[in-house]
Amino acid sequence: MTRVIEVPTHFDDRSFDTFAAGFGEWPPAEKVLIDARGTQWASPYGLIGILTAGQALAEAKREKPLLTVPTNDEVKRYWARAGFFRQAADLFELHGKVPRSGATGPSDVLLDVTPVRASEDVHGVVHKISEGASRILHGELGLEMKATLRFSMALSEACQNIVEHAGTSGWVAVQAYTFRRRLGRRVVVIAVSDAGVGFRRSLESTHAKRFGERWGDGAALEAALIQGVSRFRDPGRGQGLAFIKRFLDQWEGKISIRSGTARLSIVPPWDEDIPLSDHLPSFPGAQVQIIIPAQDPKSR
Amino acid sequence: MIQTIRMGHVLREAVAAPYRNLVTRPTGAAVRTRIEATMAHSNCLTALLDFSEIELVDLSCADEVVAKLLLTVRTTYFVVLQGLREDHHEAIDHVLTHHHLAVASVPPGCRAPRLLGWVQADAREAFTRISEVGPLDVSGLARILVWPEARSREALEDLTLHRLVRPVGEFYYPLPIA
Repeated sequence: MTRVIEVPTHFDDRSFDTFAAGFGEWPPAEKVLIDARGTQWASPYGLIGILTAGQALAEAKREKPLLTVPTNDEVKRYWARAGFFRQAADLFELHGKVPRSGATGPSDVLLDVTPVRASEDVHGVVHKISEGASRILHGELGLEMKATLRFSMALSEACQNIVEHAGTSGWVAVQAYTFRRRLGRRVVVIAVSDAGVGFRRSLESTHAKRFGERWGDGAALEAALIQGVSRFRDPGRGQGLAFIKRFLDQWEGKISIRSGTARLSIVPPWDEDIPLSDHLPSFPGAQVQIIIPAQDPKSR
Repeated sequence: MIQTIRMGHVLREAVAAPYRNLVTRPTGAAVRTRIEATMAHSNCLTALLDFSEIELVDLSCADEVVAKLLLTVRTTYFVVLQGLREDHHEAIDHVLTHHHLAVASVPPGCRAPRLLGWVQADAREAFTRISEVGPLDVSGLARILVWPEARSREALEDLTLHRLVRPVGEFYYPLPIA
């Protein structure tokens, strides 16, 4: 038996739960086929979500899953340019013609889909992003120059969460695109995902007790993002997410974290997301998305 | 005597790569260990950490390098930062405030240090005055700021506790920066 999981036509943080629901109980007992033939667009969050599923299946020692690539040539080229197929080839048996080369010249892909396994990878990510980030954040989005460094700090802290807490490796990708439906403006999106233990298990031994019966994926996300707690007793820990939240507030940015069966977002005025969604379909590890919108031309 | 420690050089040694970004906790811990070793082998009581070759300092590294260094060495050494840019200030100020610590920082092209982190408002005021006019005793500071002597004494004791002034006899000296 093969379990077929369809990738949503428009695959982003909002349609992610449909994708996650396709797996049923983790890890699924059957062989998995992820069907992206009909996909017309995927955000970086969607792309690294697919890789995370492949990684989680590999770590659960399941049979190598199949992935049918999008039939739309433009979509395939975009996925190739984002470095998706390069990483997917190790995790999936790919079916369908995959474009060979990546993009040349300036691109909206600020950071290819990049594995994060250790601290050295975080250095590489921060080093790689610095030039392109300034071009997009200052040049296109109208943010002040120092925003580039804050952005790099946010990226660094988000990637380090994988190394420090996940107990396994993960992925990061950064892209700029136009957020037509929700905002009508250009945005830069950082997506970070891992197939690790998730926030609840990471924090359980040190924080579950004080939450009592409320303890679960949602409470763990609240503890980490709102209260700034960490599994480490070191009082210097847990500041990264607090800092990210602070500067996103200045830029009307958004952060959302999905872990296990819950998703918590700090919702800016332009978005209508629900701050805390619980009882979602289970998915391994943690998925973080940070959205930084172009500043209103009137306020520049 | 002052020991100047070039953070760019220490970073390159610690990560064995040409990066200019102080990021991640393991990197911060490796850099701090090297700073502590350098200070332990020096006769100088003041370490001037020069950040001028550093591009980015993230919170984790600021915590590992600056906050933990202050927590470790503050009974023995004085620490001053220099060559920090505005965005470096932000990360370091954030982590030091979190720990209720403070450090003096000399901005590029400037001789007057500023305080990063957390001290009582009176201690901050006293630090500014001593940096401007030089060594002061309790009554001298009280006279300048029109404070009662008890308030002046408390502010200076606070600065001494944070290793932000050097007490010599009755006087409190600004930290040497050159």
